[in-house]
Amino acid sequence: MTAQAVPRPLLWVCAAFAGGVLLHLDRLPLWACAAALILIAWRLLRARTVGWYPGIVLRAVLALALVGLVLVRFHTLNGLAAGGTLLVLMAGLKLLETRTARDEYVMVGAALFLLLAACLDREDLVRTPLYAVQAWLCCAALAVVAYPECPAPAAARLAGRALLMALPLAALLFVFFPRLPGAFWAIPQGGEASTGLSDTMSPGSIVQLTASYEPAFRAKFHGAIPPPAERYWRGPVLHDFDGYTWRGGAGFHPRERLENLGITYRYSVTLEPSRRRWWLALDIPAESPDPHVLLTYDHQLLADEPVTETLSFEALSYTHATTAQAPDPAGQRQDTALPEGNNPRTTALARTLRRRAGSDAEFVRAVLEFLRSGGFAYTLTPERLGANPVDDFLFNTREGFCGHYASAFATLMRAAGVPARVVTGYLGGEWNPIGGYFVVRQSDAHAWTEVWLTGRGWIRVDPTAVVAPERLERGIFDLLPEALSPRQRLLHSWPLLTQLLQRWDATNAWWSAHVLRFDYDAQLGLLARLGVRTPDARYLGWGFMAVLSAWLTLVAWQVGRSARPPAPDALARIYTRLCRKVARVASARMSHQGPLAFASAVITQRPDLSEPLRGLFERYAQLRYGPSASATRAADIEAFSRAVARLKLPRTAPADAREPLSSI
Amino acid sequence: MRARALAWMRRRQGPDHLPVRLERRRLYILPTRAGLAFAALLFLMLLAGLNYTNSLALFLTFVLAGFALVVMQQCHRNLLGTEVTAARAPAVFAGTAGCVQVRLTNAEAAVRARLEAALPGGAPISVELAGHGQRQLELPVPAAPRGIVHLERVRLATAHPFGLFRAWTWLHTPIEMLVYPRPQGVLPIPMQAGFNAGPHGQIGGGADEWSGLRAFRDGDSPRQVDWKAYAREAPLLVKEYSDASAELREFDFTSLAHLDVEARLSQLARWVVDTEAHGERYGLALPGIRLPPDRGPEHRHRCLAALAMFGLEGARA
Repeated sequence: MTAQAVPRPLLWVCAAFAGGVLLHLDRLPLWACAAALILIAWRLLRARTVGWYPGIVLRAVLALALVGLVLVRFHTLNGLAAGGTLLVLMAGLKLLETRTARDEYVMVGAALFLLLAACLDREDLVRTPLYAVQAWLCCAALAVVAYPECPAPAAARLAGRALLMALPLAALLFVFFPRLPGAFWAIPQGGEASTGLSDTMSPGSIVQLTASYEPAFRAKFHGAIPPPAERYWRGPVLHDFDGYTWRGGAGFHPRERLENLGITYRYSVTLEPSRRRWWLALDIPAESPDPHVLLTYDHQLLADEPVTETLSFEALSYTHATTAQAPDPAGQRQDTALPEGNNPRTTALARTLRRRAGSDAEFVRAVLEFLRSGGFAYTLTPERLGANPVDDFLFNTREGFCGHYASAFATLMRAAGVPARVVTGYLGGEWNPIGGYFVVRQSDAHAWTEVWLTGRGWIRVDPTAVVAPERLERGIFDLLPEALSPRQRLLHSWPLLTQLLQRWDATNAWWSAHVLRFDYDAQLGLLARLGVRTPDARYLGWGFMAVLSAWLTLVAWQVGRSARPPAPDALARIYTRLCRKVARVASARMSHQGPLAFASAVITQRPDLSEPLRGLFERYAQLRYGPSASATRAADIEAFSRAVARLKLPRTAPADAREPLSSI
Repeated sequence: MRARALAWMRRRQGPDHLPVRLERRRLYILPTRAGLAFAALLFLMLLAGLNYTNSLALFLTFVLAGFALVVMQQCHRNLLGTEVTAARAPAVFAGTAGCVQVRLTNAEAAVRARLEAALPGGAPISVELAGHGQRQLELPVPAAPRGIVHLERVRLATAHPFGLFRAWTWLHTPIEMLVYPRPQGVLPIPMQAGFNAGPHGQIGGGADEWSGLRAFRDGDSPRQVDWKAYAREAPLLVKEYSDASAELREFDFTSLAHLDVEARLSQLARWVVDTEAHGERYGLALPGIRLPPDRGPEHRHRCLAALAMFGLEGARA
């Protein structure tokens, strides 16, 4: 066995495939990626020696085994994760039998498909350079497969040049290629949960959320911006309480007719994928923003499908609304229900306070006063609560988070017969001055309550705001710096860095809004802005054809131009002019004649022209072939040019000069 | 189908007269199998992008589609404008493989990588033309029997740079490859003393005598060229000498009556080759053809050509 060089195409194909696998390293099962990388390494090592390769039977067995593994892991071969895993494994196996150029083309195709899968999986702006490099690598590998002797820099240059020339077309096609309004083949989405609000709330569940700095959504207001104390973003509304956990509560009730008492806010929201059905909107949405989204009686926006990709919508909201209607009796029952015999001290306290208060509204104030003056503290790390959590919280630990306060407040209300419900969502948001929008992060997660006051309808009461009023004005991290991870604390302590982060966030938001979600509607919008009265797919088709032909012409021109020889320099142009002048009165210069030979030939023909021509041609030879005196060269060329321009050659020789010629 | 396509191209382009510059209207371009597979891949990517309404996947697809179109242009450009300055087939002996020599010239500054030339049914020969460079390709022609091999066309193609497209053209220039009879036979070289006819047949004198100048013909030795005259801007001339001291031989077809025709031609070819190698003068007599004694590559070719074409004139007409 003698060591030999790895064939260059194989090396490049392996590099392209490895790049494709690496793009998926953190998403696909680690064993699959490891298997593919091991296969690559094995194939490369094997190529250095002459030896055993697995036969068709072994390969078939391996392939079946790997398909089986994927099936065991995912229970399907469909979908991005299972399909991606299968592709990685099968392409790795294909590498074992890669010998011919055809196999190598197949491997480059697999690498490109892995790149596509990566694009489908994650389209963050920060990953796009990776994708660009991978596309480049794949195309360079293609060049080497087609031309094994091609040196690496030449392959990279070829691929880079072709890709760069393709970019304008890609951008224009991106704008004009007609999109489909919807999917034509439903693909199961991955089931893994991500951070976000859930439809249950137990003590501590929101604390987990606040540890995450991920953006939940971005909101941009058109016109009035609500003050900090009004920036309540509604998520799941919880009705059922079992003494420990709040749950959504089933039931359909008609939505009350609302009368807006404040400003109507117009804004657009860009939701990050949460894999949940809630669309986040400011406090009380006026109407459903989408036909597939239900506006429930308790003002939640509930979509038919979970949010699996970034989406945006326009909405209208109120923050103060009232209703004159009587409450729905069934809803009333649900919102006053408490588990029997639970939290007895809380129930007793509620009844005492209600007896003292003249009305429900006064009772609410009394309870808030109790929370304010009762020595309650706001903390992210409260003590564990016992069997009667609300009792334990109100009378023993007296420290907690928004979830504790909302839960306790709602329990107190219900114990006194006042309908109350817990609303979870987000409070506040970070203003991004560069993008002009609010970023609402998971750390802004919040819980508050709504109570029914006869004659006024559901009123928002945020007990946390009583205990920690700063929470309304500032984000959780300002309030509780210990909640920050060391990295986040570092980011926050540096204003320049904060600004950079905001800029980056704004860029991402722009990318997301204008590139990633550039769909059929956006295309029609663009056509309308271009002045098309009735935009439809036909115009897109025309635009598509126009763009394609224009670009093809341009590329043909560009490719042709680069193949042409370089333009002659100034000196060559002057010389051409001189020769043309001479050719008019004597013979033309033949291509093998140098300047001095040509001059001699002309002077033999026309001895009378010897005086001006010999000097000029000698000057040219000196300028062209002599040592280049850099200081005076430009001036010399200029003088030569003027001399040539001044040169006047008589068409015929004077009579006396002709004599000797005619005698030859 | 293929034959009809070839005939159509032939009619469309007309016969070629060298040198030929490969112009747009005679270049054809189609995707290769790899190119078709690439197109299928692009289609799948487009479907995936549209289905997931994923902008980045669509953009990737469009970039790769644009890439393929650029590659198509580059491939076409790689062949466009190439000049074919010569295409000829040197004569060979029967039983040995010959070749067609194709000279390609690049009049432009850009390199033309991997141009391929092939005869119909033959393996392509690949060559890289540097900027303003020229190269000669030798396309193998399989061994053939004595006579003339007519080569109708030469295919020039390129799949550079990515192998996704192949641009090609057919060069319709009639190339004739003369196949000499295979030199065979063991009969001794006949002597024919006293033969002294012919324009150059002067007996006497000891050294080579200068007998005149004639125009350069392919195959002449550079040593015989009159370079001094060429330097005076005269056309390329060849100095001819008559060697008076050599013995004179004439090889007669009819003297080999006991052999069949091909064997006789082979024997005559053997004599011609051997005598020429010894630098001696010889003549050839075939029924209806008489080549007076002479020597040199030109004469050798005339003799061998006469042998090659013997009895085939009718077939050629």
